[in-house]
Amino acid sequence: MSEHGHGADVENTIWMRAALFGTIFMVIGVLAYGVMGVGVANAKHQAYDDAHHEYDKAKEDLKVAVSNGATQDEIAHLEELEEEAHHHYVEAHLSYLTWRTAGVTILLMCVVYALFIGFGGFMNSIQPSGDHGDDHGHGDEYGHEHHGSSSPIVFALGIMLFLMGFPMFVDAAKAMLMTDAGGSIGDMGLSLLGLIIVAIGVANWWREDLPFIGHGEQIATSHPFEGQHIRKAGLWVFLMSEVMVFATFFSSYLRMRTEWCTYWQVQDGNPNCSAVDTLTASDFLRPNGGQMVLEDGTIIGGQGDFMTLLPGAINTFALIISSYTIVLALKTAKAHHWEAPKGFMGKIMPTQKIAIRNYLIATFILGSLFIVLKLIEWSHLVAEGFDIGTQAGSIFYIATGAHGLHVFIGLLVMLYMIFKADTVGFDEENGQGIEYFGLYWHFVDLAWVAIFPAFYLY
Amino acid sequence: MGDHKLIMGKDIYFWNFVVLMIFTIFEVGAVYIELDLMIVWSILIGVGIVKGYGIAAYFMHLRGDPIIYLRTALFPVLFVLLMLWGIGLSNPGAVTGLPEWCTPNWDYAGKR
Repeated sequence: MSEHGHGADVENTIWMRAALFGTIFMVIGVLAYGVMGVGVANAKHQAYDDAHHEYDKAKEDLKVAVSNGATQDEIAHLEELEEEAHHHYVEAHLSYLTWRTAGVTILLMCVVYALFIGFGGFMNSIQPSGDHGDDHGHGDEYGHEHHGSSSPIVFALGIMLFLMGFPMFVDAAKAMLMTDAGGSIGDMGLSLLGLIIVAIGVANWWREDLPFIGHGEQIATSHPFEGQHIRKAGLWVFLMSEVMVFATFFSSYLRMRTEWCTYWQVQDGNPNCSAVDTLTASDFLRPNGGQMVLEDGTIIGGQGDFMTLLPGAINTFALIISSYTIVLALKTAKAHHWEAPKGFMGKIMPTQKIAIRNYLIATFILGSLFIVLKLIEWSHLVAEGFDIGTQAGSIFYIATGAHGLHVFIGLLVMLYMIFKADTVGFDEENGQGIEYFGLYWHFVDLAWVAIFPAFYLY
Repeated sequence: MGDHKLIMGKDIYFWNFVVLMIFTIFEVGAVYIELDLMIVWSILIGVGIVKGYGIAAYFMHLRGDPIIYLRTALFPVLFVLLMLWGIGLSNPGAVTGLPEWCTPNWDYAGKR
């Protein structure tokens, strides 16, 4: 295959490369699951069981001491021991959840990555060789007309069907999890059909874009984007529709938040709030968060410290660093005269093509880290009593989940970009692909700039 | 891309990255240190604006790209402000008063 992968000779290379990528992901996923999700998690579960036993024993000792009329000092000492045992019990539980969730999440992500890359590679390899020329939907240097692409409309149809069936999909998913919700697996049909159509749309888009080496980029010929790349203009319009999506979350959150008596409202002396009636995610995550007493006397919230906020903080840094690494990928692709860096960086980035690929891989790893840490954090929040069954939980999980979904979709697209960087390659001519994807990725970072303080810190 | 002048041997993207990292440390630090509510709030909003500007202007290249992209980016602002005001800060009962068809089988919809 040539450096730029001109059309007709890509089929077998693509399929073999896709199979290799898929195998690597499956190995990583299984290893991570085995080590973290089973090995370490089982050891942590043993520690959790021991801590549970110690806590039960401490509670029993206190109960016996009170019923036997022990002195105040003895009871105070036993209460201290019970508090300490409870603390160890919670810590052990969260530690177990951390490893278990990390292992399962990495496995599931790697399975999706492998399926995505395998399906896309397969769809590419079965195309007749005539379809792999430069007339793949972007026009070419021989003056062929642009044929347009059916992928967006196919993709949109799939999304529409998926969303139409989504309420039934949720009911069916809840039924499968053996909750009290009604619904059967057949209710997933419409959404699954939508997902299959989405997959076909994505694979078709991949087939069209992979051989694209920069010739025949469509240029807008009318106002207001005259002279601009149509793909870039379209992406900006798409991003602005995404702004509206996130604005709905923020306006809903603001509406709810102004109605709640949160810890900060009470602390601020709001005359309508005599006591805390709602805990937000930040009350569980940040230091000095609010507490609330439930009907059964259990106190929840207010346990936040450095460690509880750490995943969110790391994620913030991860997204910012990933924004920079994708800028570096683009900068490398667009460089007129690229020179390999010296020292260690020169060893891992010996050529321009490998440097672009490795910057994209760094971005990909940081994005994947974001998803893993987010799910670990969610598992901790649910274990501490902050679930989706409340208004505060509902808006938190929907808003941060929608953002996480955007990150994950971005990771799938990035996986394709890595694949293209590894096979066809990016250069000055077709580097705008990285630029346009970078715009999306920066937008995801921008959304997090608003979500992180609003939901995690405030 | 790549035609920006260098500052201390590094391009604007590098310095933008450094500023974003430093401001994120401020942001997280403001919550770790026990400060007055209004101060924390001011820091969070201030840092958010600086970080948002840094990402949009430099990483997303709105500074330097043709003005039409900035106009496109600003287009939804009016609608966003209307949503924040019209839904976020007014309309009592907008949350708990949702019609039943909006919350099928979700018995927790009206629960705190």
